[in-house]
Amino acid sequence: MAEGTPDVKEARRMLGKGICIAGVGETEQGIISDRGSFELLTEVTRTTLDDAGIALSDVDGIVTAFSFVESTLMHSTTLADYMGMKPGYFASVAVGGATAPLMAVQAAMAIDAGLAEVVLCVRGDNTRSGISSSGMIAMAREMSHGAYEAPFGLTTIGGYGLLAQRYMYEHDIPQEALAAVVATQSEHAALKWNAMLRDVVSVEDVMNDRWIATPFHAMDCSLVSDGAAAFIVTTEARAKSMKKKPVYITGIGEGFSHQYISEAESVASVRDGLGRAGRRAMEVAGITPQDLDVAEIYDSFSFTPLIALEGFGICGPGEAGDWVLEGNAKLGGKLPMNTHGGLIRQAHLGAMHHIVEAVLQLRGEADDSAKTEFNGGNHQVPDAKLAITNGSGGILAATSALVLSSEPPSAA
Amino acid sequence: MSEKPAYTKPLPDLRPEDATFWEAMKEHRFILPCDDAGKPFWYPRKYAPGTLSETSWMDASGNGTVYTYSTHFIGPSKAYKGDPPHIVALVDLDEGPRMMTILVKDEDGYPSLDPDDVKIGMKVKIVFDDVTDEITMPKFTPAG
Repeated sequence: MAEGTPDVKEARRMLGKGICIAGVGETEQGIISDRGSFELLTEVTRTTLDDAGIALSDVDGIVTAFSFVESTLMHSTTLADYMGMKPGYFASVAVGGATAPLMAVQAAMAIDAGLAEVVLCVRGDNTRSGISSSGMIAMAREMSHGAYEAPFGLTTIGGYGLLAQRYMYEHDIPQEALAAVVATQSEHAALKWNAMLRDVVSVEDVMNDRWIATPFHAMDCSLVSDGAAAFIVTTEARAKSMKKKPVYITGIGEGFSHQYISEAESVASVRDGLGRAGRRAMEVAGITPQDLDVAEIYDSFSFTPLIALEGFGICGPGEAGDWVLEGNAKLGGKLPMNTHGGLIRQAHLGAMHHIVEAVLQLRGEADDSAKTEFNGGNHQVPDAKLAITNGSGGILAATSALVLSSEPPSAA
Repeated sequence: MSEKPAYTKPLPDLRPEDATFWEAMKEHRFILPCDDAGKPFWYPRKYAPGTLSETSWMDASGNGTVYTYSTHFIGPSKAYKGDPPHIVALVDLDEGPRMMTILVKDEDGYPSLDPDDVKIGMKVKIVFDDVTDEITMPKFTPAG
């Protein structure tokens, strides 16, 4: 761990303070038409505070995201006011699907800077039930250029499709590889108490599904859902007096390759741009892909985790499809991936649920068998100690990744 | 040959810096923005990305190669409801830049190319589709 460039050493210095996640929470997911956006955020805050065994008055920082329903340019302070908080640190992060890991990084930096000690990171929305037309436009604008892309009838799904088809062309990837991601994650979602889609589907089921935009069938696409999730970032010292075993953030990394898909240089450059996030997070953590026990990888589409697995160095270029087809991503496989079902089968809240699931895995709490009212099952990876998780905003434009560990970072 | 239907699809957002491009399109001239070294780029901006030099313009051939495409079975809005699938493509122009477009069957600018007739690497050429009195869209059709 002594090696590393000055910037990597600086990241280790910060995380060496024992920056950790001391509580997590998630609501039911799906169609929740009887609750508003701020209500969902507050509901999940209560769950998360309970998980950590602390009161709202113990929280001195808040990091939120954005809402497609409740439009405000001051989201974090609007929520703080709604909940009756007077936080010493507040920020709203808005980088699409990269937002959740960036919220954790923002909280860590606030703690390092002495601005707060216990930071609530919370995101949620009633996107499915309550989206406004301006919210819809904002969502589309995030993905396509208003003059030189949108007028050609591009959808977000098709934007990913453009990159996916080129990836499949260059590496001779069969359609079955994409379907295998969906089938694998459907097995995991069947066990997760709050997953929207609980049925197990086969590769053939996905292949026979209706087309949305090539190479994606409906089942290759992520869900649109209502719901909320949260986590509390603090220091090892503060976490000691809390209820749960802390999960340490031992690696952070970011990568950017393009904003609009027309601007993406090549499959290789996109893989490298998003891959930098994961590779750097692992470098800061002082680990290699072989050390990982579980991977919660952003999965906006079935193709998305394939290029991320390659970018992070977990698989070689063009090899992730076979890797998934061989069963390596399944529970019981070499590196179980998206053990909660992911955006494709559980719910879409950016990467929030990926972080929550990684924390539950590293605490040994990913067994939902006791949740009989939700027909939960056991999706725990036995003895999981190290996880990687990431989120990507835009069409694989901006990526943020975290390495999470059940053990504190070793001395630099 | 059927009569060309009224255009109901989204039109480009127009900013002052885009006027030169769309005015040329209206005259069925395809031009590309360039930086101060004469290197063309896409998409048009007042200042060239990277160098931030003032943009100049060059005449372009309108010839290119399909880098990738996605056949859309569902469009982005109600305006596409009931339409046959449309093919959004990224085309590598002979001059270098890559641009997004839609692939069409013939020089009238509509209807969509048949999904069975597209493949990565195929040569395409520009079609000027006067969708309104003000806007001419750069669409592409198989070359030769």
